[in-house]
Amino acid sequence: MSYIDAVEKIDIPRPQKHYTEPYFEEVLGLPIAYRREGAGEATVLFHGAGFTRMWLPFYAMLAEKLDFVAPECPGFGETPLPQWMRGFDDLTILYDQLFEQLELSHIHLIGFSMGGWAAAEFASFYPRRLKSLSLITPVGLRLEDDPGVDIFQLSPPEVMDRLFKDKDVMQEWLPDGEDFDEGIHMYSEFSAAARLMWAPRYNLKLEHRLQRLTCPTQVIGAEEDRLVPNAMSDKFAAVLPNCRLIRIAGTGHEPLLERPRELAAILTAFIEEATQ
Amino acid sequence: MNKLRFYFFHLMPYPHIPPASEIQSTWVSLSNKYYDPHRGHSLYNEYLDQLTAAEQFGFDAIAVNEHHANFYGTMPSPNIIAAMLVQRTKEIPIGIIGNAIPLHGNPLRVAEEIAMLDVISGGRIISGFVRGIGCEYFNNGIAPADSLERFNEAHDLILKAWTDDGPFTWQGDHFYVPNVNPIPRPIQQPHPPIWIPGQGSLETLQFIAEHKYTYMMVFSPLWFTKMAFDGLREECNRLGYDAPKSMFNACVPTYVAETDEQAHREAKAHLSWVFNTGLKIPDQFFFPPGYMSTKSFRNFIGLLQKGKVKPQVNLTYDELIADRYIIVGSPETVKNELGYYCDEVGAGGMIGPGSPYGPMPNWMVMKHMQIVSEEVMPEFREADGLPDYQRAEPNSQRSRAELAAVKGKPEETARSRVTGGGDRLIEHRLAHVAEVIDPTMEHAQ
Repeated sequence: MSYIDAVEKIDIPRPQKHYTEPYFEEVLGLPIAYRREGAGEATVLFHGAGFTRMWLPFYAMLAEKLDFVAPECPGFGETPLPQWMRGFDDLTILYDQLFEQLELSHIHLIGFSMGGWAAAEFASFYPRRLKSLSLITPVGLRLEDDPGVDIFQLSPPEVMDRLFKDKDVMQEWLPDGEDFDEGIHMYSEFSAAARLMWAPRYNLKLEHRLQRLTCPTQVIGAEEDRLVPNAMSDKFAAVLPNCRLIRIAGTGHEPLLERPRELAAILTAFIEEATQ
Repeated sequence: MNKLRFYFFHLMPYPHIPPASEIQSTWVSLSNKYYDPHRGHSLYNEYLDQLTAAEQFGFDAIAVNEHHANFYGTMPSPNIIAAMLVQRTKEIPIGIIGNAIPLHGNPLRVAEEIAMLDVISGGRIISGFVRGIGCEYFNNGIAPADSLERFNEAHDLILKAWTDDGPFTWQGDHFYVPNVNPIPRPIQQPHPPIWIPGQGSLETLQFIAEHKYTYMMVFSPLWFTKMAFDGLREECNRLGYDAPKSMFNACVPTYVAETDEQAHREAKAHLSWVFNTGLKIPDQFFFPPGYMSTKSFRNFIGLLQKGKVKPQVNLTYDELIADRYIIVGSPETVKNELGYYCDEVGAGGMIGPGSPYGPMPNWMVMKHMQIVSEEVMPEFREADGLPDYQRAEPNSQRSRAELAAVKGKPEETARSRVTGGGDRLIEHRLAHVAEVIDPTMEHAQ
């Protein structure tokens, strides 16, 4: 079975707000969708398990000062899910190859939520590709005391409720509940997330492997995160070498949408500092 | 051959839980603190007695299945229940419909257990295979996205383990077994009959047609069962054969009492519990991400949105009756309904008439079994009233004498060299006989 034959082809719906046409780069036979704007330090963001296919206001803010690249993970947005993608190692190798082809040899890497786990995995395999690593409300380590809520046991409205502290912002970003295709697409993206994260919800090897990092690292938590316990960002900050921990007050799990300006400023300053 | 077979099926529910209106779900999230093991002790044994009694009432088989972390059906290990039934019954076939084969770390365990049961029971086992419903995936480390692939591979491994001489190596995508050589092998050749419970998806129907397995349509409205049966017949025709009626079983909760009115009065609360409480399952538990392919999910949600299918938990009793999810009535009424399934829908067997439902009390279950066996079954049987299996030869010998007469001596038997016996191999059955060990002794006197 070739890579391409294994891909389930389904028309991808386009969100009404903020949709932009992506570029595609064929990597290992898989067309990877990505968006790229701006000039400056090459910076890549791995997204979380949703809000794909859009050029978010937050992305535009980062692109004001950076060469900002946002690829879409297989099974998310417009990147198809091949049968062979089973874990974060497959994703890591795919991204390494993507960066090679896009001539992104040294980058600042940002990972959000599930993308934080992906970024940590990438960093553990290719530490010397990174100029800095920023994890925003990441997941992927084992929390012995309280693993937190099981996202896969939540209904879509419950997920949305837990993502946001600010319910006005939540209303703004609610997917159109009446949109049949969007509902199906969300199930499809969650299926891809489950491929990566169903069991276990952590990678014990990360704690050991992340010690290889030499670049500056930071973890950005959210004080009012009701999806992932704050202990997760504490633990990442303890595991990562050269790490600073910031916790944004008054925001939930989704600071990208709740506090885009504040978050972009934190990231841009950190990247500038790491570059000097 | 009889016109219709009657299968007695037990879910073994644990009904002492809060009402549906007070809980999120009967599965996954409802705490096991509601399970009182002492009440469980009583219930399990009551249920085992009911299943055992079904042999005396003349059912064609008794059947159990596998579910996890729920109060709707408390048999996480159906093979354990089947083992008890093997011991409690004499001749009746026992169905495990089925084992959730994707959930096992090594599917060979299922091949071994079913073979053990088949051998001990003298070839009475019906082996069903299922994926397990979506909820099942929350209490183990198997990703729902891997469920279908694991089902297919586990099935292939089990079948090869039963039918090919071992040892061989299994090198699969999901399972690797360096040395497949299950002992015992099953009595029934090439393997025990295989049932596949399903909800009528095209993939399932094609799988059944390809392997000539027996289909079991799970709870569905009549129109949907008819569509699925027609679809299966078409798939079989496409592969060049006419599907025998015995390939088609419908699972339709059915209750019979003296009159229509009496039947509704007795059954209504219990049958409603099965759908409205037992199957109270939120969508995110029923369809964990990846359990269905995006295409199947799209088709299914499409049907829901067009109002063609209603979530089972929302079906009222009247709707259940009107759509023939369930059948309730006097013997005459039910005979007519079953006649329709038999003649018009093409069912060869029904899982439902005579079976227990939800919190139904023991006395009502026994009354139901009696009325079905005496007043409904004979209508669909030959004049002798026997289930088909009692007209056929048993699958194995019933006594040592029969075994000896039919099979003679084993091809290989235990032989060893024995002290004083020289270099010859002595058969163990004779190894205590002095003259056999040392033939010279015969002439010594």
